[in-house]
Amino acid sequence: MIATNVRRLAVYLLLAFVVVSGGLGWWQVVDAGALNARAENPQVIAARRSALRGTIFDANGQVLASSQVLDGISRRTYTDPAFSHVIGYASLRFGTTGLERVYDDVLTGRADPNPLRDLINDIMARRTEPKDLTLTIDRRLQDFAAAQLGASAGAIVAIDPRTGEVLAMTSTPTFDATPISGVPADAGPPMDAITARDGDPLVDRARQGRYVPGSIMKIFTAASALDAGVITPQTTFPDQPDQESSGFVVDGFTIREHDLGNLQPDLWPLSPALQVSSNIFFAHVGLDLGAERFLQYARRFGFCETTGIGTGSRALPVSASYVSAPGDDGCGPISDDVELASAAFGQAQVTVTPVQMSLLAATIANGGVMPGLTAVRDVRAHATDPSAGPADTILERTSTGGGSRVISAAAAQATRSAMVDAVEGELGTLYAGQGAVKLYGIGDAATAGKTGTAQRAEGQAPHSWFIGFAPAQEGGDPAIAIAVLVEGGGSGSGLAAPIGGRVMAEWLRLTSGG
Amino acid sequence: MRLTLAWRWAELRMLLALAVLVPLGFVVTHIARAGVLEAGPLTLPVAYLLLMLVAHGLLVVSGHRGDQLMLPLVGTIGGIGLVMLNRLAPDLEKTQAFGLQLDVAQTQMIWFSGGVLAMLVVAIGLRDDGLLRHYKYTWAAIGIGLLAFTALFGYDVNGARLWIDLGPVAIQPGELIKIILVVFIAGYLADNRALLTEASLRIGPIRVPPLPYLLPMLALFGAVMLVVVRQNDLGQALLLFGIFLTMLFVATGRRSYVLIGLLLFVAGAYLAYRLFPHVAARVDIWIDPFADAQGSGFQPVRGLFALARGGLFGEGLGQGLPATIPYVHTDFIFAAIAEELGLVGAFALLAMFLMLVFRGLRVAVLARDEFSALLAVGVTTSLGLQSLIIVAGNLKLIPLTGITLPFVSYGGSSILASFLMIGLLLSISHRTTLAAEREQGIGPDDR
Repeated sequence: MIATNVRRLAVYLLLAFVVVSGGLGWWQVVDAGALNARAENPQVIAARRSALRGTIFDANGQVLASSQVLDGISRRTYTDPAFSHVIGYASLRFGTTGLERVYDDVLTGRADPNPLRDLINDIMARRTEPKDLTLTIDRRLQDFAAAQLGASAGAIVAIDPRTGEVLAMTSTPTFDATPISGVPADAGPPMDAITARDGDPLVDRARQGRYVPGSIMKIFTAASALDAGVITPQTTFPDQPDQESSGFVVDGFTIREHDLGNLQPDLWPLSPALQVSSNIFFAHVGLDLGAERFLQYARRFGFCETTGIGTGSRALPVSASYVSAPGDDGCGPISDDVELASAAFGQAQVTVTPVQMSLLAATIANGGVMPGLTAVRDVRAHATDPSAGPADTILERTSTGGGSRVISAAAAQATRSAMVDAVEGELGTLYAGQGAVKLYGIGDAATAGKTGTAQRAEGQAPHSWFIGFAPAQEGGDPAIAIAVLVEGGGSGSGLAAPIGGRVMAEWLRLTSGG
Repeated sequence: MRLTLAWRWAELRMLLALAVLVPLGFVVTHIARAGVLEAGPLTLPVAYLLLMLVAHGLLVVSGHRGDQLMLPLVGTIGGIGLVMLNRLAPDLEKTQAFGLQLDVAQTQMIWFSGGVLAMLVVAIGLRDDGLLRHYKYTWAAIGIGLLAFTALFGYDVNGARLWIDLGPVAIQPGELIKIILVVFIAGYLADNRALLTEASLRIGPIRVPPLPYLLPMLALFGAVMLVVVRQNDLGQALLLFGIFLTMLFVATGRRSYVLIGLLLFVAGAYLAYRLFPHVAARVDIWIDPFADAQGSGFQPVRGLFALARGGLFGEGLGQGLPATIPYVHTDFIFAAIAEELGLVGAFALLAMFLMLVFRGLRVAVLARDEFSALLAVGVTTSLGLQSLIIVAGNLKLIPLTGITLPFVSYGGSSILASFLMIGLLLSISHRTTLAAEREQGIGPDDR
């Protein structure tokens, strides 16, 4: 009798142990990830306070960010404010931003880029070493670009269209990330000083700034319509000459040409229309393409959703660019033909990031294939003496995945040739001509490009834009694609185009070894 | 006197595994701490091994025929505890014990010696159960006296009055009262089992026990519970209640007793929740420790973080941050083990407790008389439930209470009481085996 009851008791106690084991598994495996990431976790706090972060090098092995542990507190030093937005800061007080955030676990050594080694480290309870990053960004070009922007607020994004490697990405005004990344107790006043300054220095205009693009959007409209077969390089619109002077009435709303100066309206096909940046021509193209295809191509080019520089969890986030009012799933519907016609030349509800526009230029330069962007070339073992350059042991090379075809090679070629005319053509030199690399000492290379003068509300100076790439002559292999934005900088030809030309020329000079 | 040797090869073989386990734990800890590939001081593990071997030797020499798994299981569990305390020692204050400045592992080693000695005295010395069984009311009186003495003259630690100062050391009488209560309940139930099993009253579908026969036990039990609750020792109250219900169930086979008991418990717990602010606070912390993670929920939250850090395979001995949990060496030693040895290590520890429980219940099943069986059930349940309650508290399955993990947590009274219980189990097991052999006509000389 008692024996039977004892056996029953044994079963109950066994069940109780099973329940307890289940609870153990819950905390140690199922919920462990979430707990380990909580900010109040002493492991996270302690690791941050005292962990030596890996060094970040530029493309040529120059130190951009390095850490030292002094008195048990990890202090980070940043050498170049031109990188403050892309690298971000790792502050014990204010958190982590930019690549510091995206690569936090790699830099602190909490994770190994190789999942298998990561698992082995976990099993062996091995304390992983901090890892170093090498960027694709060249400090020489970055500093050059930042200097071009000078005191203006703006952004420059330069990428290698063949690989998607970011060559320069800078945003002004910038800030010094070092004082806010040292001893937490001393980080308050410098941060207050940064936030008190005009122009939101903490915002990365290249990735997070959304601006009306103006005429640079015509590249998108042209490329999409060429790919869709809606136009050919020879297509003209018979009513255009009249409409240039009297206005193009769409649904009762009159679309007017910008001031053409001494130019007489003509039956312009694509190339001259792009050279003079005719709003009427591209309004027609946009209407013929139709709202549905306009949105479709926008999505293919990467508009309408948050994207990233890099892939997966290692992507540095880039705000979504919109071609219409933001809706539930990215770009909302285009309400009517007036909006469509205006969006086709970059006004209406179109708002874009400089990164997105550099990608547009790069896609044309790359024959219609949109490259995947990356700003990190590789992850390396930690170099004990950063000043001697990065370690030789490469743990992981960043792959961009080769890119995706957005438009046909023929459509890209036609757009490219019109873009070359827009800079170097007879009419184009009057507009985007200042973007030509030839003007800045690169004699043998043609430049493709387009300026934008983005109209804003009454009384506000327009944003000055330029996108382009070089070398763009027949048979040339474009080595750099660029987007330049100067906030309230006035006309694109006046400010952004010469900056774009100089930066591209500088890059061609740097890479030619001269 | 002629020595009647009884070889205990199984026990010895398993104890020898400890010769690897415990020193290895110390060496690994030392390497992790010093960062140098060397063994470090091994006095403690060697002393611990010698203690276990001496215990084994004395059992052999005394011709002990008790269960051979008991000592190796307890030795392994205690060994893991000693390794962990040694790992935690640098992070904890040294204690003043016997006038010496000792770290927690060294002090625990002294308690282990005392505990093993107590275990041997009971296991070998307790020739029959008359002393326990026939003087159960005396034992009950001693227990009540101890409780009353603690309540009146004891001192408070963390809001619970559990300690009495005995000059060189302080003890927690609650741990001993637990054993006394088990002895009393076993004796009472064994004497009155037949009456209790016969249902005389029926209220609706429920058969109610004949109250007069339950009354003395309920009265004593109620008095104990009252004092325990007054002393703010909720874990102990929960444990005593669990032991009582379990023994009642095993003695009578009545699930209805357990059900009524559980209903009473739920009602009591609800009342306590409404009446006592400290109980309400405990429950609130349990429901959402993160609500006040820097305040009242600090300890359980830190415990959960430790569990999460451990993951599947643990951080490795000496490589975690268990010292970030307040009272890690008493309340949260299980979480510390789970952090550094991982889910795998913690499972192994739980499995050893489960084996110990099964072994103890086996002693009960084989026992020749009801008192022995109930006593074995009582002490086994005590050890098993106590482990479950504190582990479940660590895992936020139930509100956290400040009771110890037997053989593992730091604390003299707990170690002493736990080893005494093993001594009782060994003694019962020994007598069962002897009786069985006598029945089959095998005398000690015929072996």
